[in-house]
Amino acid sequence: MQSTNTLLKRIVRSSVLPLAAQHGMKKDLFPLSRTLSLSFCLKQDKSCSPSEKLDLDAWKKVMKSGLQEEVSEMVSEHKELSSLAGAREILEMWRLAGRSVPENITEDQLKGFMECPSKSAQKKYLKFLYLKELYKKNDKRKMDKKRERRLETEERACKTDGTKRNSFICLWTNCMDRAYSWRVAQSMIFGQPLVFDMSYEKDMSVREVANTVRQLVLSEGCNRRSVDPFHIHFCNLKNDSLYQKEFIKHYREAWGKLLVTATEQCYTEIFPKDKLIYLTADSPKVMKTFDHNKIYIVGSMVDRSIKTGVSLARAKRLGLETAALPLEKYLLWNTGAKNLTLDQMMHILLTLKDTGDWKKALEFVPKRKYTGFVSKPVHELKKTLSLINTLKLGKAQEEVRKQFAKNYSKKLMQK
Amino acid sequence: IQPPEKPLQSEEWNRLKESFQSPEIFEEVMFNSMVRCNSPIDVAKSLLTHVAKRNGDITYNLLLKYLALCVQQGQTSEIRDVYDIMKIRFKILEGGAYNLIIRGLSNSDQWRMALTLLEEVKKIMVPSRTNYESCITAASRHKEMKLAFGLYREMLAKDLVPTLDVLHTLFDFSRGMKGAELQKELFGILLYLRENQIYPHKTFMRSIKLWFESIPGGNWRGHLTNITDSGQCPVCNHQLEDSDLTEEEYNNLRERIIRDVIHGTDTFRKTSPQEFEAFQTFVENRLPFDIVIDGLNVSHIKPRRMQCENLSDAVNCLAKENVRLLVLGRKHMLMNSSNWRQEIMKEMQNKADFFFAENISEDDAFLLYATLQSGQHCKFVTRDFLRDHKACLSDSLTRHLFRKWQRGHQISKKMFLSVFIQQPACRYDCVVQTTGDTWHIPYKDHFEEKYSYQVPKKWLCIQQK
Repeated sequence: MQSTNTLLKRIVRSSVLPLAAQHGMKKDLFPLSRTLSLSFCLKQDKSCSPSEKLDLDAWKKVMKSGLQEEVSEMVSEHKELSSLAGAREILEMWRLAGRSVPENITEDQLKGFMECPSKSAQKKYLKFLYLKELYKKNDKRKMDKKRERRLETEERACKTDGTKRNSFICLWTNCMDRAYSWRVAQSMIFGQPLVFDMSYEKDMSVREVANTVRQLVLSEGCNRRSVDPFHIHFCNLKNDSLYQKEFIKHYREAWGKLLVTATEQCYTEIFPKDKLIYLTADSPKVMKTFDHNKIYIVGSMVDRSIKTGVSLARAKRLGLETAALPLEKYLLWNTGAKNLTLDQMMHILLTLKDTGDWKKALEFVPKRKYTGFVSKPVHELKKTLSLINTLKLGKAQEEVRKQFAKNYSKKLMQK
Repeated sequence: IQPPEKPLQSEEWNRLKESFQSPEIFEEVMFNSMVRCNSPIDVAKSLLTHVAKRNGDITYNLLLKYLALCVQQGQTSEIRDVYDIMKIRFKILEGGAYNLIIRGLSNSDQWRMALTLLEEVKKIMVPSRTNYESCITAASRHKEMKLAFGLYREMLAKDLVPTLDVLHTLFDFSRGMKGAELQKELFGILLYLRENQIYPHKTFMRSIKLWFESIPGGNWRGHLTNITDSGQCPVCNHQLEDSDLTEEEYNNLRERIIRDVIHGTDTFRKTSPQEFEAFQTFVENRLPFDIVIDGLNVSHIKPRRMQCENLSDAVNCLAKENVRLLVLGRKHMLMNSSNWRQEIMKEMQNKADFFFAENISEDDAFLLYATLQSGQHCKFVTRDFLRDHKACLSDSLTRHLFRKWQRGHQISKKMFLSVFIQQPACRYDCVVQTTGDTWHIPYKDHFEEKYSYQVPKKWLCIQQK
């Protein structure tokens, strides 16, 4: 942009186009400027054919003109680039070249970029920042629009002058908060404990830890709003750990007042071992019913790189009982890993606790991961399966799938 | 959208732009389709002129696309012009532009300019491998082999992996040239293939052969051949290197397997310390074994039969003349079930040693340990490619060792008329090898043969008369 400005300035300064400068760069003036530069070019360069009216190399003149002085300025300014500034410049060029690079980048992000071990890691990191920026911008735009609309309605409301009568004073959120807190406080005394095992920090990247804490915050929120909340324990949560820092980032001063038990102790020190059940997708044992007398443990871990057996290894080391959700039994699994996010686990466990209904509870498994519930009659199931496959794969593979569905139904019959 | 065939006036471009559905990206889309359709360069120029007139500037993005078009059509003077413009317009250029310019110039008679550009790139970043490869190709095309090899060595020093194409080019253009130095460099490439266990494809192999035969006064002759299981070359009767590892390599590999595969980040992930210790003492007391069998893997060979029958077939087939067998399995095999008949299991236990791991432990890790502990003569039986275990090894050198060891010691079995046919492990080592006056080079028939577990059967034998 800066270069364009200097170019414009230069055009203004040059006596050739005083008229254009006075009127601003309007569209109707362009034919004029073209002929001008055409004659300019003819003087210097005889190579372009006079028979053609169009000067094909005129753009080069435009690009080259008005830059000489700027170049000399630049050279004096940027003799020695520090590595950070150098990286910033490279990023700017990438952005100009149309790659997914954020417009604004902070010093920390720039350092993060330079610490990336490979070119593809750099690319990924930049794309992440770029998308983040994009979402932020969109959100801001939406907020602005909303505010505008609200102002408009308020104006209208002022005009009509509505004096509403209501027996409640409008304090909904406050009251709700208090009611929720009361329930959670009760659960802290009488409720069933639910443990989040916070000992996976070394198995995760910084971004994964941030994601984990975000999921934990969501789980805490949905627990608070439930009818019969769990008594949440964050065990093995070390002071000054990355987890803790992220928590404080999310909750700010509310972190100290949160109605959960956060402790550096391990769950084996707090609860009797025979009551603990570690929930992990790798467990060979499948959970049949929700036991109200047991204490379930969920590993607070996001593994984007699918490290199998990490939490199972932990349970084995401590000699705890393990269990996996009966996903295979109730759902016709389609794609995706069997590990669920922490807030999904929370929803499922809360529903199980309230109703004991697997079908209701497993509604919280993302829909993209399964094609249907197995509780349906088998022939109906087969129909959906083949339909999906004809849509997805075309006819050739349909036969194979049909065979699969047949075998599957056979398996079900045996059970 | 279809780009126009002739240069257009500004008004005509304006009209086109207005008729386009999203005018703000009109130029980009137009340029993209020009590159795709390989439109005449004049058309692109006229659009650039139009843009320059309207905005007084052309974005970097558009210049880049124009540059791509020029490179595609080999317009050297245009490439230089665009480079000059970019140079005065922007403080630095990014890698994409340099890639295009270097590629464009290296294909022209101004290829030396590409070299100076390469130097320029080095100042701001690590050049990409295409940068180097363009320059190397250009230099070798002009018979400046010294320069080409200099760049090649520089590239390797920067940890860039050359493509087979560029190695191919080096052989192609060195054909018929004299010089001990050059010969050494090309032998260096062959040794690079050896160290990284890379197999050339057919055309590359041909160019290696032609180069050998073209060395003045070298008297090299090349023959294509198949090498039999015994590992003897039918052309020159030379015995190929065997696949045994050296003592040091072997010990190294064994330690790394224990450290990275069995223990890894957490011993509990694959087994448990107690179980591993129990297994260790079990193995120590019965060493050495001759064949270690992955019981569960073998028991699934024929899906229609009972699993224990499959296993007992395998054990019966392998148990002869004082061969010491070890079968690895899991505890659930000991439970009487429709697949695991206890009387058959009892019978087998007379013929072989059995070790049963916990049901949730990984028996493959035990397989590797027991085989490596028994010594170089010990083989193992499984159809598994063991890729996930290879991936646990942290550096590529050990992974190569593992692959070599696996090739030499894994027996996989094929079913043939319900009899087990033992597919013997490769007795010779399948890499590029030399004795000084002979070279043996394995090659792939097709360019796209990619299975890492398959080794080529076809060889190029080169000998000096």
